Amino acid sequence: MAQKALGAEVAVRSAPYFPRQKKRISSRSIGIIVFLSICALFFCIPLYVVVITSFKTMEQIRQGAMFSLPSVWTLEAWDHAWNSACSGINCNGLKVGFWNSVQILFPSLILSIAISMITGYALALWNVRWAGGFLFLLFICAFVPFQIIMFPLISMTAAIKVYGNIWGVAIVHAVLAMPVLTLIFRNYYKDIPQEIMNAAVMDSGSFWKIFTEIILPMSGNILIVVLIMQITSIWNDYLIGVTFGGMGSQPMTVNLANLITISTGTTRYNDNMAAALQTAIPPLVIYFFVGKLFVQGITAGAIKG
Amino acid sequence: MPQVSFEHITKTYGQVPVLKDLNLAINDGDFLVLLGPSGCGKTTLLNLLAGLLDVTDGRIMIGDRDVTDVDPKDRGLAMVFQSYALYPTKTVYGNLKFGLSASKLPKDEVERRIAWAAKLLQIEPLLDRKPAHLSGGQRQRVAIGRALVKNVGVFLFDEPLSNLDAKLRTEMRLEIKKLHDTLHHTIVYVTHDQIEAMTMATKIAVMNGGVIQQFGTPDEIYEQPANLFVAGFIGSPAMNLRRVTLSVANGKTEAVFASGVRFELSDYRFMTPPQDGTTVTLGLRPEHFLVGAGTAADSAATFEVPVQYAERTGPDASAYFVLENDLLALRVEPAVAAGLKPGQLVPVHYLKGKAHLFDAQTGQRM
Amino acid sequence: MAFRWSRWSPQLALVPAVAVTAVAFVGAIGWTIYLSLTRSRRLPEYEIDWSEPLRQYTRLFADDAWAISLKNLIILGLGSALAIVFGFILAAMMDKEKRGESLFRTVFLYPLAVSLIVTGTAWRWLFNPELGVEHALHSIGLTWINFSWLATGETAMYGVILASVWQSSGFYMALMLAGLKSINSEIWSAARLDGVSLFRLYTEIIIPMMKFTFVTCAILLSLGVIKAYDVIVAMTNGGPGQSTFVPAYFTIQALSAKGNLGFASAAAVMMLVITAVIFLPLVMLTAWQQRRTGRAAH
Repeated sequence: MAQKALGAEVAVRSAPYFPRQKKRISSRSIGIIVFLSICALFFCIPLYVVVITSFKTMEQIRQGAMFSLPSVWTLEAWDHAWNSACSGINCNGLKVGFWNSVQILFPSLILSIAISMITGYALALWNVRWAGGFLFLLFICAFVPFQIIMFPLISMTAAIKVYGNIWGVAIVHAVLAMPVLTLIFRNYYKDIPQEIMNAAVMDSGSFWKIFTEIILPMSGNILIVVLIMQITSIWNDYLIGVTFGGMGSQPMTVNLANLITISTGTTRYNDNMAAALQTAIPPLVIYFFVGKLFVQGITAGAIKG
Repeated sequence: MPQVSFEHITKTYGQVPVLKDLNLAINDGDFLVLLGPSGCGKTTLLNLLAGLLDVTDGRIMIGDRDVTDVDPKDRGLAMVFQSYALYPTKTVYGNLKFGLSASKLPKDEVERRIAWAAKLLQIEPLLDRKPAHLSGGQRQRVAIGRALVKNVGVFLFDEPLSNLDAKLRTEMRLEIKKLHDTLHHTIVYVTHDQIEAMTMATKIAVMNGGVIQQFGTPDEIYEQPANLFVAGFIGSPAMNLRRVTLSVANGKTEAVFASGVRFELSDYRFMTPPQDGTTVTLGLRPEHFLVGAGTAADSAATFEVPVQYAERTGPDASAYFVLENDLLALRVEPAVAAGLKPGQLVPVHYLKGKAHLFDAQTGQRM
Repeated sequence: MAFRWSRWSPQLALVPAVAVTAVAFVGAIGWTIYLSLTRSRRLPEYEIDWSEPLRQYTRLFADDAWAISLKNLIILGLGSALAIVFGFILAAMMDKEKRGESLFRTVFLYPLAVSLIVTGTAWRWLFNPELGVEHALHSIGLTWINFSWLATGETAMYGVILASVWQSSGFYMALMLAGLKSINSEIWSAARLDGVSLFRLYTEIIIPMMKFTFVTCAILLSLGVIKAYDVIVAMTNGGPGQSTFVPAYFTIQALSAKGNLGFASAAAVMMLVITAVIFLPLVMLTAWQQRRTGRAAH
């Protein structure tokens, strides 16, 4: 028996040896990579142009070579956009809008996430008889165009004296995000095993205690995803900011839009590009650091159903 | 004084009735097993007792308290769930502690109880771990511990062993039995596993279709099944059930098979006098057969039947014979099973005094 | 039945959300619909002239700018649909070739992270008639290329479409990639064993299998197109003339610039109607899917 096995091994060893060819990238793979690279280039062109333009002087821009690198790298435009660019009649730069955006961001985040988290938790894990109907209503609300509720919201915010200030913008952000976020949280909480809820109901029975001690610690993942999604969408918003912001509390995007649509005097393209970059940097930083969560967020926001 | 009682319980989901006018009472210290196939209403009944579901009609008493409208946490119950339902973000210690969150106990009492339960269940070294880092058996112990610390009179178990492998299941079965023997809590335990029911229970309620089919001790359930459902559900291999005709003549009661075999029933304790010529169902337990010649003296009947096949299941063996175009299951000695050849005609005897008779119409025991 | 606090606390916790939904959504929609029937101009008037309740709608459909808006909505929708096609091609390629997947994914998705105002600013600059891409192309001799699309009404919408496709292709790529990854890998092996050509595999097997993903993408795209506002503001501000008006822009323009509340409300109601027309199939699709999976489970 042992001899036989040995014999077999010898036979295998003495079999003709074909060295396996070193694995080559197939021509199809090369084709795909080349195609994808060209597409990637197309995606990068606007960013490249914006970046180099923001470092150019106006003299060089006027010469017209859009794609060439700055002959003199200067931060003049960045400084100008940040400190003295005009938005309407105020010429204090984008820093005003930046700080407004920051001030809008935090109350918006806290309000929108708090209300939708609690609502999602109550709808998913507690026995609410009309939960199904309410969810359907929220689902519809998530798709309603802003214009149809715009004037009533202006009147309502004016009535509670928040129209035209940061709180108005923050509250409207929270209101508009509520349906989508509630559905996201509700779908996430729906996957928590019913038995855990049963155990918690028997152990404590308190709605809030179960939320803070059991459910909230289990929400880490979805909370981060929603947080990223909300930060970018609040930061990038223009319509709510321009409608509810009033003169002194407009977010950065509104400043930027005012700057680029200005029709008097000569347009300083390098200032515009620097301003655009300054507006884009916060969400881009988030994107490049936690891109995967960002993608999860936008797809969760898109496919709520 | 009954510790837990269900009085006229009705539960409907929408229009679908799950339980209808159900009555059940168990004593303090009883280990009640609710046994039945899936969908029989046993888990619904347990959840009604726990307060996780609301009754449609009826009353639930624990001690002399009507708890029908009491919050789950205030009913004085503890529950162990099928999936253990441990809080994933809390340590074992945190899990046990949260179990006490409704009771507002002083801190040192909480510590004392956790230490006591941890010691009892031998989970002291695990107190700082999260559930994800525990084995199935350890999770089970923690789940039981979380129930124990509450120091309540009534424990509910919802199929707690069904997620464990066979070996662990046997171990935990003994463990739960031991806990009951030392602590004397009242336990309501839901399972579909008849072995668990037979080994642990002091009382079994066999349920089917939302109705309690029989309520009694494990021995009563096994020895005196109240109806065809219980007879068929308890026992493995299942009881052999055959249509026969009663013959009452010359002071002798017999069951006559279609093939003409006569089955002696003179020692059967009828609840109502048997009527000659009625069709009934005869139940024969597989383990009450004897195979081979020479034991005819204590047998109620002897069948001459061909072997279909024999199979060995570890220490036991089952043999299947053909009787009137249907399989007849027998428990046999492994040595005997080894000697059986398919097709071979073998004399098979059934022991006297071990037969079960059921009304062919109602399915009730006669 | 006895009062049980545990039963009321979840309902109590829902009060804010229900109030917001009832007031800010349902109530507000009703308010706007009501306003669309009145003669409100700068300030709301709450009297309905019953002899002519739909006068704002009559005016709306007689309005040239609204007609342009509707036409542009369709153009933008059809044009932006390229983003789905493009997204699918990118996803299919990335699904077949794992090398560099995360790099490509990062590049294709970054436009989504920035504000549409920023996107618009960048493209507005690229389309600049004197100093933009056209100038760069002309200076290397490609003088026959016309790339200052935003300068004329006939081509301005195409500029908006290009920017939209650039911005959203990555999003559809991500959805498509998720759809492709959920396809059982054995299908690829089976197709290879059967010797099916890649083209036929995609057209006859893969794309039909992904029809739900495609429908989802199409609906999301349509809803996005209706909401398109920021990109118009940043790129063209509706111009030249009114050539890049879309309903979202038209409505806000009517409200804030013209101060014509009843008229703007009528336009907003029409936007809601268009959304509903797109939204209805989505609801039906979801219901149908639920029924199907429900049946499969039984």
